[in-house]
Amino acid sequence: MVTNEAAAPLRILILDDEPIVCKRLKPAFQKLGHTVETFTDSGQALARLGEAVFDLVITDLKMEGADGLQILNGAKASSPATQVIVITGFATLETAKESYRKGAFDFVAKPFKLRDILDCVKRIEDRRRGPAAESGQ
Amino acid sequence: MANRLAQRLAFWRPPSEALPFTVLFKKFQSILERNNLILELMADMGDKLGGEYIFDGHYIAEAAEKLGDQVFKLISDYSILNQHQNADLFVAFERIRYAIQEELAGHHILTGGGPVAELTEIGYEQSELAGAKMATLGEIRRRLELPVPDGFVITTRTFFDFFQRNNLFDRTETAARLWQEQALDDLRQLSEEMQQRILAAAMPRRLSQHILAAFDALAKRQRNRKLKVALRSSAWGEDGSSSFAGQYRSILNLGRDELIDAYLQVVASAYGIEAWRYRLAKGFLENETAMAVGCQAMIQGLVSGVLHTYAPQAAEGAMLVNAVWGLCAPVVQGDASADTILLDRRPPYSPLSLAVADKPRQLVPAEDGGTTWQELPVVLQKTASMNPAQMEELARAAMSIERYYKRPQEIEWTFDRDGRLVILQSRPLRIHVEADAGQGITEATRDAEIVFSGRGFVAQQGIAVGKVFLVENDRDLAAFPHGAILLSRYTSPRYSAVMPIAQGIITDVGSPTGHMATLSREYRVPTVVNAEIATALLKTGDEITLDATQNIVYRGNIGALDRFELIEEEVFEDSYEYRLLGRLLKLISPLHLLDPQGEDFTPAACRSYHDITRYIHEKAVEELIHLSEKQGARSLSAPKRLATELPLGLMVIDGGGGTTCPPESPAIGPEQVVCLPLKELLEGMGGMGMWCTEPVAVDLGSFMSSFTRTFSASMARPEEIGRNLVVVLDHYMNINMRLGYHFTIVDAYIAEKINDNYIYFRFLGGVTEFIRRSRRAAFIARVLAHYDFLVEIHGDLVVGRLKKLSQQRMARRMRMLGGLVGYTRQLDARMHTDRDVDHHVELFLQAMQACLGE
Repeated sequence: MVTNEAAAPLRILILDDEPIVCKRLKPAFQKLGHTVETFTDSGQALARLGEAVFDLVITDLKMEGADGLQILNGAKASSPATQVIVITGFATLETAKESYRKGAFDFVAKPFKLRDILDCVKRIEDRRRGPAAESGQ
Repeated sequence: MANRLAQRLAFWRPPSEALPFTVLFKKFQSILERNNLILELMADMGDKLGGEYIFDGHYIAEAAEKLGDQVFKLISDYSILNQHQNADLFVAFERIRYAIQEELAGHHILTGGGPVAELTEIGYEQSELAGAKMATLGEIRRRLELPVPDGFVITTRTFFDFFQRNNLFDRTETAARLWQEQALDDLRQLSEEMQQRILAAAMPRRLSQHILAAFDALAKRQRNRKLKVALRSSAWGEDGSSSFAGQYRSILNLGRDELIDAYLQVVASAYGIEAWRYRLAKGFLENETAMAVGCQAMIQGLVSGVLHTYAPQAAEGAMLVNAVWGLCAPVVQGDASADTILLDRRPPYSPLSLAVADKPRQLVPAEDGGTTWQELPVVLQKTASMNPAQMEELARAAMSIERYYKRPQEIEWTFDRDGRLVILQSRPLRIHVEADAGQGITEATRDAEIVFSGRGFVAQQGIAVGKVFLVENDRDLAAFPHGAILLSRYTSPRYSAVMPIAQGIITDVGSPTGHMATLSREYRVPTVVNAEIATALLKTGDEITLDATQNIVYRGNIGALDRFELIEEEVFEDSYEYRLLGRLLKLISPLHLLDPQGEDFTPAACRSYHDITRYIHEKAVEELIHLSEKQGARSLSAPKRLATELPLGLMVIDGGGGTTCPPESPAIGPEQVVCLPLKELLEGMGGMGMWCTEPVAVDLGSFMSSFTRTFSASMARPEEIGRNLVVVLDHYMNINMRLGYHFTIVDAYIAEKINDNYIYFRFLGGVTEFIRRSRRAAFIARVLAHYDFLVEIHGDLVVGRLKKLSQQRMARRMRMLGGLVGYTRQLDARMHTDRDVDHHVELFLQAMQACLGE
């Protein structure tokens, strides 16, 4: 019998200047038991990253003010263990490369399937549980 | 003289040099490719409405732009092919593109909005015009097929006209400042003044005439010369995320003479102090205030009340009903004691508890208008006002509405004198959100058995809890129980018949952009298609929870998931982006040009990008036929006669890869046909002999003779007969066939890649009297629907569309069409009664079953 494995809840920060993305992602993660904070303003998100530690940051790339790569830097600076997923509607090979170079866990082009990002987070959870879990043991 | 010569010369142009046929043919191919690409882009956009994808405003703008660009290029390609400027097509294109840009820029376009609108014309797209409450009622009537009181809406357009003519907006803007300064006495004074001005204002005569005419039409429909109506407020934002419950006025049981005054009273209630303060507190701007007013035939309710579809404070998993004798108003206002009933939220929605209240009197419509209290006979006072059958009927309707709106609902209802349930109103019910909502789910799903997950595609997101019901044929479909989850091997548009009562749909095979998926989205039924193993793992009667958001099927009832969805902060379907994409798709996807032979098959009639695409596709084929006859003789693609035992008189134009026939040969043998759709169609026609002996008693000889009649001398000139011509590529076919008096068009593309596959079938008969023709149309429509076509009938014209099935299933359906074309030829004289239709459908399907195994 297959069941949902119990995993430790993650603290997740979601940043996208379009509220619809936050509104759609938030309940999907809540449903899995994670705690979620959402932001549509990158300045506020950056400030929040300075005061609290998150396990995962999902950020848009192209925004007014600080862009996704600055958020990536900010997140890694405040907590190196924080994983970052970059989502963008302007995906190019260059931006993808740069995101990975700066330490992004994954790079997802919008629009994407909800399932894709959930799988992506699943991989992060597996990694947190250690290499044994990741190799499926 | 010189002048006249100059005029003549102005019309003289050197003859344009004709492009070589091969160049033109390349254009034709490019039109076909672009046609498929456009259909694909449209389907992708529609797909996003299903909820499986996370998308944003940027995506919507970009996709609309890309699509517009392709349609523009399509018109340009066509202009080269037919060597005209096609200004009318470009005009149609610009009109649609302009509307799309206005939508994207956030400018609402009140399209086609008159001063009044019939309730039958209203759905959620008309929310701006009809207000939220009436739009909801229209939607409930149209989508869920539940009865609502007949009537019409005095639209927001009338509201604006009336206000502007009387200069009533001049001081409303000051309210915001007064609110900010908390000058509440001043605000109260402004409110009173506004209401007085509205009540004293003159209704422009043109508007009252429209309103009274709509009233008279309603009275005529109701066959009631002394018709009484109920007026209900239907303001912008009312019943949305803010309920405005009880803030605006409703006036019951009034006649024609009081109508205009009563309308003004309802409109004035928009500026009552409580309502105004409520709006200001919720952050509504003054330009977001507009009120439509519903005018509906007064229902003489015998028993009425209010139902909450979800009542966790009363009992988990229960619906709460309050019911009284007579009209509904006392329950809403809370000024009379009511029976309290708890019903199970799960089918068959059994009563969990019933507390009968003492009900000494009931509210009824008064003889001369308005309402009055009436003493009840002692025996009724302490009797339950509802019987179990009514409870179940009400519960079914309520769960359909909740399932559609994905929110717990507060529903006002009544059973009228004929015992018919009528929905008076439905609005979302606000439920307090528990802080750890997610936690409950993790616990509930942790130990739940997952039947399968991540299989196939989500066609419509959402949560469904219920019992599985396997549908294999029309009999199963007719027996489909309320609140069940439909399980089927394949998708079919036929399932729309049960979508208003289904909790969810799962299929083994299918595409998220197929016809059924579109319907699932319209009905908002959580749907997963192409799950491959669903029918192997599930059976009728299994209780499951379908999470069509995460795409997981759990065994058993995971109520926590269902509840989580009901209390989610925002329903995806209510988001601005969803509505915007929906509105754009209304300008893009609907196909209005169904009949290429119809009078309105013109560029001017193109109202969507799909129309333009369809128009060009059809005309491009015509153009190609014309060109190949004119110049093709000099090229490789001269039409060749198909040498077959069936005297079809069919000429074949091979555009490349469709046949293995040498260029110099004047005729093509059937064995030289490579084009898959044509091969299958011919196979179906030729295969007639196998099954058309007994019991249908159509022998091959008479079948042949009917074909032979195609070119009988009694017919008019060849161009009037229509050509029996087919254009083929390796995977594409467009055939125009007149057999006897029937005219058939089949346009099909069938290849490995499922997403490109489609069949368009069009049948038009003639000659026999109308009743027989309509029987024939009914016969064809039913056969097509059986084979999963999306079918539209317009009189004698039948159009069937099918897309995105596997190559093998598409090929079988082409073969079936071959059979159908032949079979129908013989049918005219045989359809004596409507029962014959059933008989022939059965015979044909049996024969096909034997032939195709499907």
